Amino acid sequence: MVKRAKLEIMRDILRIIEENKNSIKPTPLLRKSGLSSKGFKEYYIEFLERKLIIEQILEKNEKRVSLTEKGFKFLERYNTIKDFIDEFDL
Amino acid sequence: MRPPPLDFLFPQGIGTDLIYSFVIILCSLMVYHATKEMYELSSYKGLKYFRQAFLFFAAAYFFRYFIQFFLVFFNIQDILEFSPRYIGWISLFLFLFSSSMAVFYLLYSVMWKKWNHSKSRILLFNLLALIIAWIGSSFRGIGVSLVLNLILLVFVSFVLFIAYKDKRKGKSLFIIYLLLFIFWALNVIDILIPKFLQWYNLLIYLSSIGLFMIILYKVLKKAGN
Repeated sequence: MVKRAKLEIMRDILRIIEENKNSIKPTPLLRKSGLSSKGFKEYYIEFLERKLIIEQILEKNEKRVSLTEKGFKFLERYNTIKDFIDEFDL
Repeated sequence: MRPPPLDFLFPQGIGTDLIYSFVIILCSLMVYHATKEMYELSSYKGLKYFRQAFLFFAAAYFFRYFIQFFLVFFNIQDILEFSPRYIGWISLFLFLFSSSMAVFYLLYSVMWKKWNHSKSRILLFNLLALIIAWIGSSFRGIGVSLVLNLILLVFVSFVLFIAYKDKRKGKSLFIIYLLLFIFWALNVIDILIPKFLQWYNLLIYLSSIGLFMIILYKVLKKAGN
């Protein structure tokens, strides 16, 4: 299996949230991301800190994760960012 | 009484130098601004180093002429009682430091994955840039400047060559960066030894502007701005 680059992992996790009508519980998100729980936690915390995702507590203390405007913007601009990185060999 | 101008402050054709510095600063800041959103969204380290390189290029060319221009033309040194020779030394020091950092960051933006990103490497770049700036501004002899720039140019070219020798893609980028580093060295020599390259002055300026324009064009095209 080809090792995914950090930027690709970011895109994959954010896309999973988007494809689940922008609302998913952290546990299914971890499962679908294909990462170890340690690796997932690092990305999850980073996303929260960088305000790419937001946690919402619903009824019965149910935690759900949604994309922020910045998260949507990242997905929208992902191909441009990737092309730029490839072009300048960054 | 107006202090005598220093050769570093206003060698010949201050207008040409000012326009040249202004164009390079504008190009560099446009590159920095055009990549701002991409970096804010991705926090990608390569992008960070690339942007910092152009911020340092802008700073270097600002220190190169604009500080002296403002100080001398607005007579600020009369008010603040600065010695123009001292200001010249500081500006030259800051120019050499900033331009060396720009070159190191541009090189690191390409090499950071291979060199295993570490903070100590950035510290090493800062230290090297400080040494280059100190030697360049304190010993402005032809021999010292030429040897210093040649060593740096050979080192930078060698690292670039190693990075690109097996790559099928990116040959044009290799050539652009290599030319940028060569013209950076010529720019530094041109400042430290004004008479050494005086006949090629305009050619160096136009070629440097051309290279910055090519990079800016590529950036704007790819960044979608």
